[in-house]
Amino acid sequence: MTAFLALVAKELRALFVSPIAYAVIAVFLVLNGYGFAVTLIATKQATLANVFFQAAVQLVLLVPLVTMRQFAEERRGGTLELLLTAPVREGDIVLAKFAASMGMLLAMVALTLIYAGVLARFSTPDWGPIYSGYLGLVLLAGALVSIGLAVSALTANQIVAAVVSLGVFGMLWAIDAWAALLPSPIDDWVLGLSLLARFQPFAVGAMYASDFGFFLVVTLLGLFLAARGLARR
Amino acid sequence: MTSSTLTPDLHLTDKARRAPAGFGIAPAVVSIERLGKRYGRRCAVDGVSFEVNEREVVGLLGPNGSGKTTILRILTGYLRPSEGTVRIDGFDVVRDGQQARARVGYVPENAPLYGHMRVDEFLHFMGRLRGMRGPALRRGVESARARLSLDPVGDAVIGRLSRGYRQRVSIAQAVLHDPKLLVLDEPTNGLDPRQVIELRGLLRTLAHDSAVLVTSHILAEMERVADRVAILLDGRLLTVHPLAGPRSGASLRVRARADRADEVAAALSGLPGIAGVTREEPGGALAGWRVEVAEAGAAPHVAAALCLVGIASVETVEAASDLEELFLRLTASRVVH
Repeated sequence: MTAFLALVAKELRALFVSPIAYAVIAVFLVLNGYGFAVTLIATKQATLANVFFQAAVQLVLLVPLVTMRQFAEERRGGTLELLLTAPVREGDIVLAKFAASMGMLLAMVALTLIYAGVLARFSTPDWGPIYSGYLGLVLLAGALVSIGLAVSALTANQIVAAVVSLGVFGMLWAIDAWAALLPSPIDDWVLGLSLLARFQPFAVGAMYASDFGFFLVVTLLGLFLAARGLARR
Repeated sequence: MTSSTLTPDLHLTDKARRAPAGFGIAPAVVSIERLGKRYGRRCAVDGVSFEVNEREVVGLLGPNGSGKTTILRILTGYLRPSEGTVRIDGFDVVRDGQQARARVGYVPENAPLYGHMRVDEFLHFMGRLRGMRGPALRRGVESARARLSLDPVGDAVIGRLSRGYRQRVSIAQAVLHDPKLLVLDEPTNGLDPRQVIELRGLLRTLAHDSAVLVTSHILAEMERVADRVAILLDGRLLTVHPLAGPRSGASLRVRARADRADEVAAALSGLPGIAGVTREEPGGALAGWRVEVAEAGAAPHVAAALCLVGIASVETVEAASDLEELFLRLTASRVVH
């Protein structure tokens, strides 16, 4: 446990030493704040559904910037050798990076709670969709971070890690458009892989166990692949 | 930031007097049996077997690509062997990987470190990574800082340290937990001569508590610091060669005009610090001598002394040592482009 906590603390510090974290958080908050204000003024409805969709798209675009350096930088700088020759498991190293990245992203998403506070101050919003929307964002972030880590574990080049992660995220986001071109029942299977289709119900207040399970399975699969990517060969 | 001087007791250049290692007196800390490593069809290490005993320094020598770093990476758990077994203090590096790794301190080539961390922060992190905490961690960090003379830079950011200090920080993280085995990959790379001398003394000091396995391209350094050397070529172990001890002097090779051979021989014999002069036959119009001198680095003094008596030597250089000759002979089959 000492080693795991040391790894998490080190990863958190590494994230916030770099200007990337501050840039990502600033861009996320500015875009979401703008979106929230415009939507509220235009629709005068006490809902965050639009904010959740915007935030989800921004996570798809911004998470690669957070995960790209995680393993790629350690591999390029040779410090991965220090970690892998210490008496810790590959799984602990991966989980520590996952926990630190999620910690940063959760703090970033938590800052948008102020929008919910604004709605509560001036109206009586339906809290169900707001809770489910935030849960959806957390699950989506988990899935994206784990996939990003798996990609980063396979390369020593941060840019390659970011571009490949973005490609994978984009494909999983928009795969429902392809599903329409495929015959039944393959279209349903492909549709089931769409991040957008899985996230949509959360944003509007509907929670299905299948969507919850999907994000959980993708997250675990990503973490497993990241640990395999690190495995001693 | 520049490197400061280590404490005087670390400036040892001679090997400490202790029981000869490698003959079964001290128990083996590392036991390597028929070790093999393949990358696809390429065989990087093939059937290597040797042992490293307690309080012994073993040098791993070989040309580039001979498998030195691969062997070190298998020992430290960074790579898995394709065949054979490696045990550290009785623990198999594959089956009991965590226990084996807990007993090793590793200084990778080029001293990779977290540049954004401060020295103390990094040492505490590496200690916690090895499960140390509380007073044990504090003691380990303080001891490593003292042994490596890192006290003046405890608060310094690693990325701003000189190459010498970075190397010391890298060694400090490796000795925090008093490992049974200390593994150093090319630790003299990029160090200036003073830092090399300091490192040599440091290795001898560290060998009082750990077995040390070290690679280096500098044979003279190996000769001064190692008890035995294992020579590799193309992934195969050619020999494990015990070193008798530090050389008390050096050999010079002197070449001069053959028609003045008698004058040269007389002049050489008359110089102070000369232990012996042997005539060699280089052929042609030159005569040659092998001159045993009391101290290394005497070549310029001998050349100057010959000049003073009116003889301009064609060549006065230090001759290859026994280890250098052995290394060159064993690795002669490698074609150098």
